[in-house]
Amino acid sequence: MARLATIIGGAICGALCFGIWPEMWKSYGILGGWLTAAIAISICWYMNHWSGLFDNPPGKLWVDQGWAVASAGLAWSVVRFHAQLLEALPVVACCLVGGAAAGWTAARIAQVETRTNLAAREKETL
Amino acid sequence: MIGFFSYYVPWLGMTPAAILTTVFGAFCVTFVVIRCWGKLVVDFGPAGGMMAAGFIIGTFWVLNHKLPGFGINPEGLAHPDGGIKQFGLIYQGFRGAAPWVDMGTAIGFGLWINGLAGATPGQRAPLIAESLPRIGAAILGGIIGGALTGLVGWSGANLFGY
Repeated sequence: MARLATIIGGAICGALCFGIWPEMWKSYGILGGWLTAAIAISICWYMNHWSGLFDNPPGKLWVDQGWAVASAGLAWSVVRFHAQLLEALPVVACCLVGGAAAGWTAARIAQVETRTNLAAREKETL
Repeated sequence: MIGFFSYYVPWLGMTPAAILTTVFGAFCVTFVVIRCWGKLVVDFGPAGGMMAAGFIIGTFWVLNHKLPGFGINPEGLAHPDGGIKQFGLIYQGFRGAAPWVDMGTAIGFGLWINGLAGATPGQRAPLIAESLPRIGAAILGGIIGGALTGLVGWSGANLFGY
């Protein structure tokens, strides 16, 4: 059932992203694209991650709705525009390299981080 | 220098410049999501997460995914010299019809790697094995939603006589 919940959440998130993002962009340009993130991703995040529709047990690796958006983009363009799936591979590889570098770096930075950030100072002074 | 960066590698379908911008765009958005999204939720609750959707994903959509002109147009803007101008950092291939590659790829994988890098080394293999079916479910859900949304191109319904 938890898997089914993840599948449903991913399907809704992917459909929202690729159903309305291009239309908003075509209608309102840059602002439309920004606005779509604010209205679509926000409610998807609320449903999938805040209310916990995605199966993310505590202490386990995080499964983000980004996976669903990524696969939805590929499937959407294959079905709608008859795109060739394999031609996405180099760009997907570049995205994975960049994302992995960021994930690894952020984890290392969090490990060596001292309590010098402003949020921690704020809490200490309160 | 310009010649090297703009040299189109045919078997790859990308130029070196496109590789650099894609990796950099993926790095930026993933780093900011990891660094800020959770803290915004801690500071502002669910409203912080919904703010983060606009401020992080929306802003980085402009950086990574905006296209010249209006509309999803994988060819980009045809330059008078015959080149292709594309202003988003994450490259969308134009050879043939390359599918849309979203920055969600980088974010999902980056958060997964982030959890893995923070785990103790002995615990990593069971964590990976546990998370793979959940990732598969998320990807399957995305495929279902994206494919069904793509079907609107097939419906061919005539509305109101148009």
